Amino acid sequence: MATERETTRFESVRSRWRPRIERFRRGWDRYTEHWMGLAGLFILAVYCLWALFPSVFAPHSPDWAAYVGTSGRMTPEQIATLPHPPAFGDPFFAPLGTNSTGQGILTLLVYSARNALYIGFAAGILSSLVGVPLGLISGYYGDTWIDEAIQRVVDVMYGLPFLPFLIVLVALRGITTTNIILGIAITSWLNNCIVIRGETLSLKERAYVESAVVSGASDLRVVFRHILPNVWPLAFVFLAQDAAYAILTQAALAYLGLADFTSNSWGIMLLNVRKAGQIFSAWWWLIPPGLAIAFVAAAFYFIGFSMEDVTNPQREP
Amino acid sequence: MSRISARYLAKRLVVSYLTLLVIMTLLFVLVRSMPGSFVSSMVSPQTTPEQIMALKERWGLNDPLWQQYVRFMVNYQTGSFGRSTTFNEPVWNLIARRMPRTLILFGAAFVVAYTVGPLVGMYLGWWRGTTRDKAVFGTSLFVYSIPSFWIAWLLIWLFNYELGWLPSSYMVTQFQTFDWTPVTVMADVLKHIALPLFSVAVVGWVGAMLIMRPSMNNVVDEEYVFLARAKGLSERTVMIKHAARNALIPVTTGAVIALAFLIDGAVIIENVFSWPGMGQLIVKSVLARDYPVTQAAFFMLAILVVGARLITDILYTYLDPRIKFGEKR
Repeated sequence: MATERETTRFESVRSRWRPRIERFRRGWDRYTEHWMGLAGLFILAVYCLWALFPSVFAPHSPDWAAYVGTSGRMTPEQIATLPHPPAFGDPFFAPLGTNSTGQGILTLLVYSARNALYIGFAAGILSSLVGVPLGLISGYYGDTWIDEAIQRVVDVMYGLPFLPFLIVLVALRGITTTNIILGIAITSWLNNCIVIRGETLSLKERAYVESAVVSGASDLRVVFRHILPNVWPLAFVFLAQDAAYAILTQAALAYLGLADFTSNSWGIMLLNVRKAGQIFSAWWWLIPPGLAIAFVAAAFYFIGFSMEDVTNPQREP
Repeated sequence: MSRISARYLAKRLVVSYLTLLVIMTLLFVLVRSMPGSFVSSMVSPQTTPEQIMALKERWGLNDPLWQQYVRFMVNYQTGSFGRSTTFNEPVWNLIARRMPRTLILFGAAFVVAYTVGPLVGMYLGWWRGTTRDKAVFGTSLFVYSIPSFWIAWLLIWLFNYELGWLPSSYMVTQFQTFDWTPVTVMADVLKHIALPLFSVAVVGWVGAMLIMRPSMNNVVDEEYVFLARAKGLSERTVMIKHAARNALIPVTTGAVIALAFLIDGAVIIENVFSWPGMGQLIVKSVLARDYPVTQAAFFMLAILVVGARLITDILYTYLDPRIKFGEKR
């Protein structure tokens, strides 16, 4: 008896999820037609692996220093050769060279992936958590005081220039990664809100939403069961864009000296190049972090725009 | 003016004004909630408590908060921004000197970005899905992802450090020995503006392209485009004169939002190139807790953005006669 009941439950779960799985598979098939989306996923996968298992991919640990490994002191002559261009084999192995304190560039590059992805995902998800519900509410109650109030808040926020406002917020609350993420989320939910509102405004005029309203569904149910599922894809597109924006903003803040120096990040690597006065002499130190930022931001943009094509096929590619 | 009702215009003006008032209130709250007061940035360990009290008295920090607030709101709307605590001169002078420089650099960048962006977007949207579209679109998204200061460094490296063609900092040559004729000064400024302008524009056009491409793609199937083709007009004429004109409407909204992003760019690029504009001023004054300058700079930028949003809404009615404001649906 027990087994039978479990089977039926399993069956019912399967039958309930089958259309969703089918829909996902169809979407995936469309997605794989976009080379950009696949490239974005590939880059992101590489960075995720770096973030999860940095010690596997990095040749050394972040404590490692050229010549002496993880212990001891360098002689003045050794320090004078830093930053060291790429070196293979003895006396040390640094495929992308070292910085002026003797750390391997490749090592830092790999260990910084975690920070970038953390900031990207956290800021993207946070600003979606604020922007999507507000956009839904604003759109669903369009042309009422609720919509008006939310849109005026958006207007006010647009009047404050993003980066300067962020600088004030971070200067105000202290320079920690958490505060940087919160600041980015506070300044970047506006776009989500406006776009989701526009989509909701058009969705709520559709026949199926109207019939749900007529059949007595509560506002909450209409919004969450009928409108939200159609807004999800768009929300994901903006999540990806927010993530890219957040990573670029963090780099900009790091350039201005507003970044958490205790963590490894590409922005801080770039700041250190400048501080060491090596921008034009240590190309092996200048190029990789910039490219790393560009690639991860591009990966998010690629994924976002491919998803936009998949979910909103204006035209067959 | 016939398309826009006076009532609507009046309503928008009032709303814009109220928005500004709210932004100012926010600024007041934000700046007051910074740890320490700006007096603490003026004192040294040798300053006696009496001197600190005198300073606070002089800057009006001992008055009740509501009095400070009312004074702040009234002063700003009458254009008196007070004195900078770090530059030791009236804030108004500072801004009057720096605002034009920022407007020159970013006005130029804006023009370049919003000429190149919609043009590229037009072509990509018209031939969406072709190999060329995919390649150009992918490349431009990648360019869009490059940190602006890093690209600026690469440009300085190439054009200043390696080739020595263009200067990498300030707006004019420092301690110049040449004659101060308008022509030489102009040429000098042009040389100095080249690298920062290019740094902003190289990334900035992508934003316009991203809006133009889908917008162009939407009008491709419109009936009037079909009609224009049927009339036997060349593909080029149909694309530029019929399709692109209508596809440009969302770009104007995007342009206002981009204004805010350009100010973002200004903050970074001005710092890289030591361009003596507002962006540099903002960073310096925020980090130095120079409240009067911070508030005034934000206020000016807020006026810029709120005003631009108002103007686009009005421009809309001219770009697209179908859009009418102030009338019930």
